[in-house]
Amino acid sequence: MVALAVPYVLRSDFWLGFLITVLLFAALGMAWNILGGYTGQFSFGHAAFFGTGAYTTAVLHIGLGLNPWLGLATAAAAGGLVALLVGYLSFRYGLRGSYFALITLAFAEVLRILANSAEFTGGGVGLYVPLDLGIANLQFADKAGYYYVALAFAVLSLVVGWMLERSRLGAQMMAIRENEDAAQALGVDTFACKLKAIVISGALTGIGGAFYTHYYLYIDPGIAYGPGVSVEILLVPIIGGLGTVFGPLAGSAVLHGAGELARRLMGDAPGLSLIFYGVLLVVMVRFMPEGLMGVVWRIRRRSETQADA
Amino acid sequence: MTRMNKSLSRRHVLTGAAAGAAAGSFGFPAILGAQPAAIKVGILHPVTGALSYSGTQSRFGAQMAIDEINAAGGIKSMGGAKIEALLADAQSRPDVGAAEIEKLNEAGAAAVVGPYASAIALATTQAAARHGLPHVVDVAVVDQVVTRGLMNTFRFGPGVKKTVDTAIENLIKINDAAGKPAKTVMIVHEESAFGSGMATTLNAELPKHGFEIVETIKHANPTRDFSNIVLRVQARKPDLLIPSNYYNEYVLFARALRQQRVAPKAIYSILGGGASSYKFVKEFPDAAAFVMDCNHWFDPRKAAALALKEKTEKQGLFYTYEVFMNYSCVYLLADALERAKGAQRDAIIAALASSTFDMHVMPYGPTRFVNGQNQGAQPVTTQILDKDIKVIYPLAFASGNVVYPMPERRA
Repeated sequence: MVALAVPYVLRSDFWLGFLITVLLFAALGMAWNILGGYTGQFSFGHAAFFGTGAYTTAVLHIGLGLNPWLGLATAAAAGGLVALLVGYLSFRYGLRGSYFALITLAFAEVLRILANSAEFTGGGVGLYVPLDLGIANLQFADKAGYYYVALAFAVLSLVVGWMLERSRLGAQMMAIRENEDAAQALGVDTFACKLKAIVISGALTGIGGAFYTHYYLYIDPGIAYGPGVSVEILLVPIIGGLGTVFGPLAGSAVLHGAGELARRLMGDAPGLSLIFYGVLLVVMVRFMPEGLMGVVWRIRRRSETQADA
Repeated sequence: MTRMNKSLSRRHVLTGAAAGAAAGSFGFPAILGAQPAAIKVGILHPVTGALSYSGTQSRFGAQMAIDEINAAGGIKSMGGAKIEALLADAQSRPDVGAAEIEKLNEAGAAAVVGPYASAIALATTQAAARHGLPHVVDVAVVDQVVTRGLMNTFRFGPGVKKTVDTAIENLIKINDAAGKPAKTVMIVHEESAFGSGMATTLNAELPKHGFEIVETIKHANPTRDFSNIVLRVQARKPDLLIPSNYYNEYVLFARALRQQRVAPKAIYSILGGGASSYKFVKEFPDAAAFVMDCNHWFDPRKAAALALKEKTEKQGLFYTYEVFMNYSCVYLLADALERAKGAQRDAIIAALASSTFDMHVMPYGPTRFVNGQNQGAQPVTTQILDKDIKVIYPLAFASGNVVYPMPERRA
């Protein structure tokens, strides 16, 4: 309810834009969290799914005039498909831990180079989505429209995460994270389970990429498939709390809030805000290894023990 | 990083009110009302990230113009109102650029100047258009910046199409005047929007004018070893070599060519990252000698252009095109503010649209915007002669005589 009312109360386009970014990355972080947080498979290449989603809707919209709302769905399908391919190849050959992280990074880089060379992706020039304001076109004159789409996407991701946490599949995923061999010994089909996790994760990430395309109306290989995207996506749940429902939301808010705070505090000296931001991240990872949600639990536990006493 | 308006803190208001009350009660003339409110102008560039060098150079150029305008009494039609720069950093990212526009809008910017790079400009002009915020684009050469029908966008410099057309036109003149020694061409370009866009256009245009393109080579950013590419150039022996890359790669490539003694009849680049750079000329005079480039360049006959050069070099900076382009853009905006007689955005947009500004340091003639593109804007062809950058074409602005084909460069 509060979230729905925000655009009516908050009359600042800058802060609305800030919230859109927070929600977008909360959703992307949750998508990563499904694979990385719950299933324990750390991906360093979620840009592969993000970029595929972004390019799918852009290419189909510009080339064939596909409606951008349908573009969100096709982006999900395309993201899921690429995830299936990446997942099948890497899980089939038993890649785990840092090897899995490296292979995902490699896939994202391969796709970046392909997008850079192919004709239909516009090569290095990238793709421009024509400016044509209209709700049917997923282009809003008012930022509030984008806000609601981002909000819906974040809610969708969190609900998927929440449902997974309470489902049989979710329990199997967590079993794999804790001890894959033991899970297998107990009869969990680890291959199928990991594949499901990566496909759900990839599909959600694809939606995020499509939203990015229609929000900024321009993508190029560096923006869509660059390692920067992968890192930004995985930082969110790591800061917020791995394998938790509200971790990505908290992580995204803190990550982007800290970035903004750094810019306001550090004023005009170029780059100083980035140094501050980096130091803040190092400190957070050092002193809150379980993320923000870990801190919340610790406080709650302490207050509970005090109540018991 | 937007600098918020600090001039109107609570304390200032209180002191002002107290002073005003005191002045009023003692019957002094009210001096406070005499100072008109400053006009806030967003100066948005990528001062951090991959494009930080160009961004800081751009910011410097804009700041120089603002300082000069304020020192000369501000905007006269607004009672000498000063221009207040709201400095913003796009961090070399389009999305950050768009967010900075929102911030500038809320800080009450009357207009924005920037943001150097094409990808960032596509995002910032669009974001500014939502608020009817006038946006003077300095460089950002991609043609889509001005072809989307945005009423708030005014690009001062030439676009890619205009630049390539002029470059080819000048190349043909140079080649014809020397008795057409060049037939074959080889293109070496970087892989992002700028280099690949250029390569595509050249591949389409040059054959129409009787040039044969023997090979087009693409390289990644960054590339630090050009020896293989140079070997291929050596094998192909093209008459003309057209490099299209950013500063570092441009310089490394030119040095590798020099080391391997590869000597085409000309090295002719278009918007080349290094060729029109005093830094390159100063640091690697041998590799830079006789290199030609079609690029943004100041009018060497204008006193203001040379005065700015001196000021820039006094600060220990190189006089790059970012500096004089942004310097000119701020003056263009100041001229519009002068005629708009107020900081209303509509009035500024109307004033820009009807601009005939010609007090810039560029070889452009009077400014005239059609669909947001300055029709007067044109690049010039330069050549590095006697360790200096000379304009060689068009002849009306020339400060040196073309040397072509390139003479034997001593080892």
